[in-house]
Amino acid sequence: MNTSKVHIMQHVRQAHEDPLNLRSLPLVTPAEDDWPPIEAALIRHARKQRIVRYAGAMTAIAATVVVAAGLVLQFSSIGPTTGPPGPAAEPPVTVVQDRSQGEIPGPVATPAVSPQTTLESLIALSQQLEGRLRTYRSNVGDLPAGSLVYQVELQDLVVQIDEELSMQPDSRELWSQRVNLLLDLSHLYENRLRRDYHLMASL
Amino acid sequence: MTGSPFDIELDEITLAGARRGQVPACENIFRKFHQPAYSVAFRICQCRETAQEITQEAFITAFRKIRQFRGDSPFWGWLRRVVVNHAISTVRRGGNASTVEFQDFHANSEGDQNQMGLAMDLESALASLDTEDRAVVWLHDVEGYNHREIAGLFGKTESFSKTRLSRARARLRNLLDGELAGRKRTSAGAG
Repeated sequence: MNTSKVHIMQHVRQAHEDPLNLRSLPLVTPAEDDWPPIEAALIRHARKQRIVRYAGAMTAIAATVVVAAGLVLQFSSIGPTTGPPGPAAEPPVTVVQDRSQGEIPGPVATPAVSPQTTLESLIALSQQLEGRLRTYRSNVGDLPAGSLVYQVELQDLVVQIDEELSMQPDSRELWSQRVNLLLDLSHLYENRLRRDYHLMASL
Repeated sequence: MTGSPFDIELDEITLAGARRGQVPACENIFRKFHQPAYSVAFRICQCRETAQEITQEAFITAFRKIRQFRGDSPFWGWLRRVVVNHAISTVRRGGNASTVEFQDFHANSEGDQNQMGLAMDLESALASLDTEDRAVVWLHDVEGYNHREIAGLFGKTESFSKTRLSRARARLRNLLDGELAGRKRTSAGAG
């Protein structure tokens, strides 16, 4: 195609798209620099977002603590002492049920332990949760990718806490953190079991 | 190339920074697009103060929602949509005041003066249009919006856009051919 033809086509197209040649009008220059108020608004927004995130995290932590405290209370009000918990003393946990019976799988039994101190109850609870997690792991297939990342993170945190516990074995705070992490992990598996159950039920 | 004054390339690093909420990256984007954004807002509402408000609100909205930009089309198109949406919504709320301004024209030579005269006529004719007519003709002829997009912005049918465009162009032609030419003749006769 020769250049004159291209020019004519461009001219025709422009005449069709912008017949009054409005594009020839210059850009309008703003009288003021509008950036400072925009910057201030962005900083305010970022601060607000941080507060919202922080509040969300605090609420989640508070919820976990309440759940853990509830479990500890329930745990301490059940039965007689079985002696000081050790690594080999794994409390019995009934977790997986027959799906054909139409019940949602989940933890149903809590071992009867009457701890003399809060520390002891936390250690026992931690052991109970470990047992529960072992059962879950053997019964749950692969976790979805999103949960898997979370699971790995939680397990890493448990390992870190265990390292710290090897230095301070009687730290109530560390045991409490460990229990919280194990609770989060068991919720992850419970959700998966629940989802599997509903999937099977819908078939 | 669309011919839109918004058609400016933005590098990925700046865009990624803005997505992460980095203020310097946001400022970089603002500096690049401020003038086209202000221009389109001014062309639609024809008022400097309103155009300034529209521009500020549009940039704040854009930076807050920049994560929603999927990247499957140029960034400038997305930003322009944010600005135009703000401008149209202001127009629909009735928050504008038309004032014709010529302070952006500066002639340096005789040729420039002729160009400036034509531009002033065009500017004046554009300013005398009904706000919706002006928005439609500007978005269609300068920014390259199609009738469906314009109808979507105004929440009306495509025939609304077609009718408004046709009416706006006819009015502009009349103004440029008749009224303004007549005014020129009058002023030449007086001189």
